[in-house]
Amino acid sequence: MRVAVTGTPGTGKTTASEQIDALDVIHLNQVIDREGFTQGVDDDRGSTIADLDAVESWLDGRDDVLIESHLAHHVPADRVIVLRCHPETIEQRLRERGESPASATENAESEALDVVLTEAVDRHGTDSVYEIETTDRSPDAVATEIESVIAGDCEPNPGVVSYIEYL
Amino acid sequence: MSGEQSKWGIAHVHASFNNTVITITDQTGAETLAKSSGGTVVKQNRDEASPYAAMQMAETVAEDVLQQGVEGVHVRVRGPGGNQQQNPGPGAQATIRALARAGLEIGRIEDVTPIPHDGTRSPKSSGF
Ligand SMILES: Nc1ncnc2c1ncn2[C@@H]1O[C@H](COP(=O)(O)OP(=O)(O)O)[C@@H](O)[C@H]1O
Ligand SMILES: [Mg+2]
Repeated sequence: MRVAVTGTPGTGKTTASEQIDALDVIHLNQVIDREGFTQGVDDDRGSTIADLDAVESWLDGRDDVLIESHLAHHVPADRVIVLRCHPETIEQRLRERGESPASATENAESEALDVVLTEAVDRHGTDSVYEIETTDRSPDAVATEIESVIAGDCEPNPGVVSYIEYL
Repeated sequence: MSGEQSKWGIAHVHASFNNTVITITDQTGAETLAKSSGGTVVKQNRDEASPYAAMQMAETVAEDVLQQGVEGVHVRVRGPGGNQQQNPGPGAQATIRALARAGLEIGRIEDVTPIPHDGTRSPKSSGF
């Protein structure tokens, strides 16, 4: 089974997936970097633009894996887990990580507007998307919940989290 | 306040998965002329109720600013809105139609949806 763990940067995907034993973990951002799967640069954001076709081909045949990235919902997967975290926490974490204030704010707004969740549901449908609210929870607790989704012990539940009051 | 000159505002439409919030400001964005309370839609009725709630709010804020002498609005949509729809979702589109039906002229429509990013980002979705 292929599981995607996605969510706005700063929600804790990389940290939580480091604690997963049930599947091999692919840190997709590292792959994109290493393999040069990019098709341009967004100068305003200081980000490269991912080449998702190249990413998808590279992933072809890698089926029993957990793919971790804020782009993980853009590739084929059996189950898509969207980690959610309060926008204020995201903004603070990203600033602490050294991101520019503009970048921290845009990611926090993306979280408040459910951008990743909506893209995940658009691509994979409500029956494959699992939301996990991580605010004030430990990486261990988040990893345990990811493992329950992998084990099939959770129902898809997109739309349970709302941070719109942040705006 | 000159009665001669036509007065325009900006309608800021925030459209998330479950909610739509509409704020109408003056052209500089500094002064809020009307604000919707934000339509929280009960989950099980989301598909039907989201555009409907958005329309209701749009009518209310439109009437409010029409009375303040606003003739038209430029629209800034922020957020994908709704599910299984193209960007922006049903909330945003229903809102714009309702603003027009209530008697406001619609000027430029801009999609200013934020893009999640760190060192990399996805290719831009099609936008408006
Ligand atoms: N559950 C958590 N509780 C507190 N801090 C966390 C948690 N998960 C991650 N962090 C911290 O937040 C920051 C971002 O985490 P990271 O795993 O890199 O997020 P992502 O991979 O989603 O961008 C890091 O500094 C990390 O230590
Ligand atoms: Mg990461």
